[in-house]
Amino acid sequence: MNSKHHSNSPSKVAQYATFYCDKSLLGLDISYVQEINRSFDLTQVPLSSKCVRGVMNLRGEVVTMLDLRTLMGLPAGKSGPRNRNLILKCDGDIFGLSVDGVADILTIDSSAITQPPSNLSIAESRLIRGVYQADKSLVMLVEPREVLSASLNLMRNAA
Amino acid sequence: MTCHPARAILRELTSLMLIVHSRDVALSSAEARSMDANSELQFLFLRFCLTDKDMFQDDELVQEFVVESAAHLAQVEGQLLEIESAGENYDIEIVNTVFRAVHSVKGAAGFLSLTVINSLAHSLENVLNMIRNRELSVTKSIVNTLLRSADQLRILVDNVESSNEVDVSELVSQLDAIYSGQPEQPEQPEQAAYEEKLETQLDHALEQAEQNVAAMESEVPPYSFGDEMQSSPMQSSGDVHEQFGQESTSDSPEVAESVVPHPTAPTPKINPVKIMEKTPAKNAESTHVSGKNKATDSIVRVNVAILDRLMNLAGELVLSRNQLILAVSNGTREGLEAIASRVDQVTSELQETIMQTRMQQIGTVFGRFPRVVRDLSNKLGKECVLDIEGDEVEVDKTIVEAMGDPLTHLVRNSVDHGIESPEKRKAAGKSAVGRVRLRAFHQAGKVCIRIEDDGAGMDPIRLKTKALEKGIITVDQAGTMSDNEALRLIFAPGFSTAAQVTDVSGRGVGMDVVKTNIEQLGGTVDLESNLGRGSAVHITLPLTLAIVPSMIVGCSGERYAVPQANIVELVRVPEAEMSSKIGTVHGAEVLRLRGQLLPLVRLDKALMLREESDAGDRPKSANILVLETGQMRYGLVVDSLYDNEEIVVKPLGKHVRDLGYLAGATILGDGYVALILDIVGLAMHSNLRNIDLVESDDHAEFRNGDEVHRLLLFTNHSCEQFAIPMAMVARIERIKSSDIRFIGCQNILIYRGQSLPIIRLEQSIAALPPDYEPENLFVIVFRVGDREIGLVAPALKDIRDVQMVIDAKTLREPGVLGAVIVDNATTRILDLMELVRLKYADWFVEENPVYSEKVVETPTVLLAEDSDFFRNHVTRTLESEGFKVIGAVDGRDAWDHLQAIFDEIDVIVTDIEMPRMNGLEFAKAVRSRENTAGLPIIALTSLAGDEDKERGALAGINEYQIKMDPVRLVDAVRRLAGTTV
Repeated sequence: MNSKHHSNSPSKVAQYATFYCDKSLLGLDISYVQEINRSFDLTQVPLSSKCVRGVMNLRGEVVTMLDLRTLMGLPAGKSGPRNRNLILKCDGDIFGLSVDGVADILTIDSSAITQPPSNLSIAESRLIRGVYQADKSLVMLVEPREVLSASLNLMRNAA
Repeated sequence: MTCHPARAILRELTSLMLIVHSRDVALSSAEARSMDANSELQFLFLRFCLTDKDMFQDDELVQEFVVESAAHLAQVEGQLLEIESAGENYDIEIVNTVFRAVHSVKGAAGFLSLTVINSLAHSLENVLNMIRNRELSVTKSIVNTLLRSADQLRILVDNVESSNEVDVSELVSQLDAIYSGQPEQPEQPEQAAYEEKLETQLDHALEQAEQNVAAMESEVPPYSFGDEMQSSPMQSSGDVHEQFGQESTSDSPEVAESVVPHPTAPTPKINPVKIMEKTPAKNAESTHVSGKNKATDSIVRVNVAILDRLMNLAGELVLSRNQLILAVSNGTREGLEAIASRVDQVTSELQETIMQTRMQQIGTVFGRFPRVVRDLSNKLGKECVLDIEGDEVEVDKTIVEAMGDPLTHLVRNSVDHGIESPEKRKAAGKSAVGRVRLRAFHQAGKVCIRIEDDGAGMDPIRLKTKALEKGIITVDQAGTMSDNEALRLIFAPGFSTAAQVTDVSGRGVGMDVVKTNIEQLGGTVDLESNLGRGSAVHITLPLTLAIVPSMIVGCSGERYAVPQANIVELVRVPEAEMSSKIGTVHGAEVLRLRGQLLPLVRLDKALMLREESDAGDRPKSANILVLETGQMRYGLVVDSLYDNEEIVVKPLGKHVRDLGYLAGATILGDGYVALILDIVGLAMHSNLRNIDLVESDDHAEFRNGDEVHRLLLFTNHSCEQFAIPMAMVARIERIKSSDIRFIGCQNILIYRGQSLPIIRLEQSIAALPPDYEPENLFVIVFRVGDREIGLVAPALKDIRDVQMVIDAKTLREPGVLGAVIVDNATTRILDLMELVRLKYADWFVEENPVYSEKVVETPTVLLAEDSDFFRNHVTRTLESEGFKVIGAVDGRDAWDHLQAIFDEIDVIVTDIEMPRMNGLEFAKAVRSRENTAGLPIIALTSLAGDEDKERGALAGINEYQIKMDPVRLVDAVRRLAGTTV
């Protein structure tokens, strides 16, 4: 079933999976996250866009893995032991995001989400829907649909 | 089925209204009017929901109705046509079937309050009832009305949501007029109107079909499944609005005008002038569309027996899984192998059974063609019958669906361009009625479809001129082009064969798209034509797309899969021969392969897998896959070759789907993903063009030379090379040498549960025994009569087309025909039949008496053969079987002989390629003379392709026999001698 409980109705509580990309802490509505794994058996796809890291076998499905760093306009990082793949399902498309490590799951009330600051880079600001102030840090909330469309745009521009 | 999204929204809106309403009440309870207005609004909404609910009480029910009615109606058209063609003596049982089909549609429609469908079906049923009771004579115009009504019913059923809005009163009143027995005089203008409308519909259907064909090119990714779900707007949640809009048509007809019936279907360019008012033309565009969005296409009917079997298999799989888990947790290896083999068995059976559920009869596509041919030939003023064979041939559902439009195009082409007008046909001495044959059959694990017509055929010269005009080929190319290559020009983009572009065929979307579509399905298409006699299109398709036998290759550390269907052969060029075998022409790398130049594509370069500086990583030798895709042939250079695997094709995600060179992905045994290469895409990506020309030049060179035989070369002892004509080889098996047992003075190989007698060369002829005993051996299997026998070949060398200059004296012995020089090595050509005779003489004796009863006296054979070697060989063979043989050195010589002594000759055996007069000309000459016309003619050939055979058949040749297969030749001569054909 697709997630249909996304409305802008006031004061709604949702759970967010948080993770690291470079040094920043990001969050994603958990209803989009199918699973988190750490398989690195990626098959490179020649001539594909920069943001495509490759394709992998997810229990019999072939899933495209995207590189969140590239999408955020960051230089490619090294893969380390904390790297994980978030497998997301968004409007029927399944794709993966490789991130630099996962953190907690936070329950966030939508009223506590503030507009993203205006000094974000263009690449970042497209993907980020809002900012949540946690106890110690800021969590930038990522919109999966935007991730998908940004990566497809990147692909088309490359072509 | 889930809750209808539109309804869910309505429900939500209604509840929202309720909230608004109650607030209003609280705020201004005095204002009764406002409340009234609100309740009015609320009432309207409720009614909306209710009517909506009433009409589509249950999605499932409606879906079922659509699927079932479509199934009922699918047959009706053909049955009506059958009734029409039977005339007065129509079969009541067929009328009954039609009646029952319409009746059940009517019943179900009534139940679902689909009033328009119900009333049309009712009127149709009335007329059918009269026909059933023979109260009405069936005229063409009545059948026309019936056909139109059936068409309209189908359209209504396909667009069931909006069916109640369609005006069918015209049809209903016509049907009722027939029913009430009114004279048919108003038919005349209506007939004209109908013709016109039919034209419009045809136009639309054609336009749509062409667009579909074109759309398919971009829409249907080759080898991909699971798209049905994605491309169906009805099922994806993102289309709530469209659906909402569509449903609301039931209440607001104005809205209906603005709603496009199929939001995702390619919107056709509708010429507004052609749409007639008050006709359901708006819907007509979907009449013949094999739209993927329809409910009927996403549902498969499965035999309960198959489901039961699937259940059983699933049960067994669970059982095996439990055993496996137990074995793994116990850590014992014991019994693990048994479990593994069980899992293996169950999964392959499961796979096979699931495949069965996807299989559909190709008749579902063929069914539409009788009508297409009828309407089209009526329109063009031609007379034409369509023969359909092989309705029951089963193919994967996806292929059946995808073939609809290409086949329609081809059938239309046959009627439009192929079949001539009755006058022309009569003038050419043919029957006025043209014949189009549509055949489907299985062959060698593939499905073949042929579309043949006995029309005018295609003129290679005209095709060349046309291609020249259009700048598709150059003058030089036209000069060197063979007839067959000229025919293939119609597959070139931008080529249309009609001298004038008619409105029926040829609207820019041509044969090139048909060809691309078929190739995307992993099939091939080929053409054949005889000027004045007709043309034939041969289509070969794989049985299924889901599982593709493929070769796994490696390049720059990654593995890729290449479909076996595209691989012609594998060539390995060792380091030492790199410079002599691989060269460059205008900067493009080519491989010298048996005198031909084969363009090369380096996979690492094409996909930019290596930096230029890393080119040194390349292996020193080259592994080349020789690939063929219909019109292209090229070599793909890869680093390494792995194994052949049956791979399961998985679709790729959006980001990588359209890269052009990929056909999908698969998961290998180790869980790693391998990409599947699209051979056509890769060639285009690498800008490979004009490949035909390189090839055709080389072909010409070959054809002009001596006769070419395809030989399988192998060694027994590594110093001695032997050859066997490929035509004799049934197959080649790789076995363990320990599997050959010596039993009762014979070598026997046990395999596939049978024992196969084995011949070892060193035991039969003067040959050295193998200098080493490898673990694995090849066995060349061939047939003698209905038995099989194997010949041990320790090391296979190559398969070559060799121009045979045979020395039949020096090394001749029983079992050896003679010797040729191949690659500077003396190669002995084996006579397999003699080899067998040496060992198993009794195999031949017992067969003879069967024939000797028929043979009254010594039959005389006239043998035309220019090669002394073969003439002597065949003469010897035939004489040893008791025939009298008169030899001739070529066709002319044989013709001279024949005229002198035609009454002595019982059968003619002739070579094809001969100087002065070739075999085909000779055969034609024989057929043209009254006193020799009845003589049976057997052609001897070295490489008999189907194409050659058809050409031979046209010239009057009765049978083809392979030169080096004396058993079959003798058999054929015996069978045909003395008979008259």
